[in-house]
Amino acid sequence: MNVIRFEDAACGKVRGYLDSYLSNELRVETNHEVLRHLESCPRCAAELSVRARVRTGLQAAVRGTSVPDGLEGRVQRAVRAQNRRTRAGLYTMAVAAILIIGLAIVSLRRAKTGPEEAILAKASGRLALVLNVGLRDHLHCAVFRKYDKAVVQLSPEFADLARLIQARLAGDFRIIQGHRCTAGGRQYVHLIVTHGDKLLSLILTRKRSGESLSGGVFQEGVDHFQVVGFESHDYLVYVISDLDAQQNLQLAANIAPAVREYLAAHAG
Amino acid sequence: MPHLNELYRVAARLLGDTTRAEDVVQEAYLQAWKSFHRFAPGTNCRAWLFKILINTIHHYRRKWLNPRLVTDSEETLEQTAAAAPPIPEHITEEEILRALDRVPADYRTAVLLADVEEFSYKEIAAMLNVPIGTVMSRLSRGRRILREQLSELAQSYGIGRAGEEGRGA
Repeated sequence: MNVIRFEDAACGKVRGYLDSYLSNELRVETNHEVLRHLESCPRCAAELSVRARVRTGLQAAVRGTSVPDGLEGRVQRAVRAQNRRTRAGLYTMAVAAILIIGLAIVSLRRAKTGPEEAILAKASGRLALVLNVGLRDHLHCAVFRKYDKAVVQLSPEFADLARLIQARLAGDFRIIQGHRCTAGGRQYVHLIVTHGDKLLSLILTRKRSGESLSGGVFQEGVDHFQVVGFESHDYLVYVISDLDAQQNLQLAANIAPAVREYLAAHAG
Repeated sequence: MPHLNELYRVAARLLGDTTRAEDVVQEAYLQAWKSFHRFAPGTNCRAWLFKILINTIHHYRRKWLNPRLVTDSEETLEQTAAAAPPIPEHITEEEILRALDRVPADYRTAVLLADVEEFSYKEIAAMLNVPIGTVMSRLSRGRRILREQLSELAQSYGIGRAGEEGRGA
């Protein structure tokens, strides 16, 4: 190890200040003390010169380091890419928030409106709107309305219809209700039929502008309900039940001629 | 981009690797962009960017470098940096950089920030998250080690081995 033997304690003290002197960081009194010493001590003056030379050389060497040509462009691209990712992230978060709020609203609506609306909401995505028209009345009037299924309530005006339909049904199908009803602001003629623990509806409602099932017989299932729809004499006709799809379609096929006969006679 | 070149040069000297220096500078600017809301208007933007750079370098140093290259103990340095040997009259920039690279990282950082970038002790203390006294201590030792490394060059040139006044074994 090399060891300096300073001339005296003053040199040691001043040399401890030299770097700060170069950086102009000394207090005024200390600065004067260093200056006075340097004027009288060529060794410390030489040491100051060396340190100044190292400092200057260091600055020149580091500041002279070449910077890669493409660095600025690379950094700018990275910042822009991050900017886009952040915006995409914010957009995703916004969409997620909207979805969550939407789901919450749907849940609240279902909670408020009960199972009828919940089934209809589910059905709207799977059933053509025109089939949903019949399902709405079935749910509203036959499924969720409180009434005594043991009591037959058949409006006299639908006695002919009931007789025609009953003639097309097997003996264990029983017409328990025949009435006019309203659901969702729309009027229906509604026969409710039971088959053991199964519940069926024959529903007729006058077509509105744009509604059409003239292409034939349509069937769709939603939840545990099967909906068959067809058209006759400006009426939409629905057979809806909790039978399986094949049974429900067969039932609709059986009663369709009776419905057409009735409407031919009564529709005006 | 503001101060990009200064950041790169300091990063290159602290990491000793130009490719990693580029990566670190890019990361520092990304961090700055992300945390720009924390920058207090009216304060020193350059010092703020350097603080982010130093933090990024610390992070990457832990990830990349062999721990033995990071720092020596201050006690060891105290013993090895006790001399003020002569320095060659004519030294090239390359020699200075080579000597600087041999200064342990913590001390090299202080020397670069103070003597090249000319930040104040207070600014350096904030960047390194250490007391001002520690900055002064690291700076003093870093400068001394740098001079010692340069003196080794002198010895390799045959300077100072004989006839130097005031020197002994």
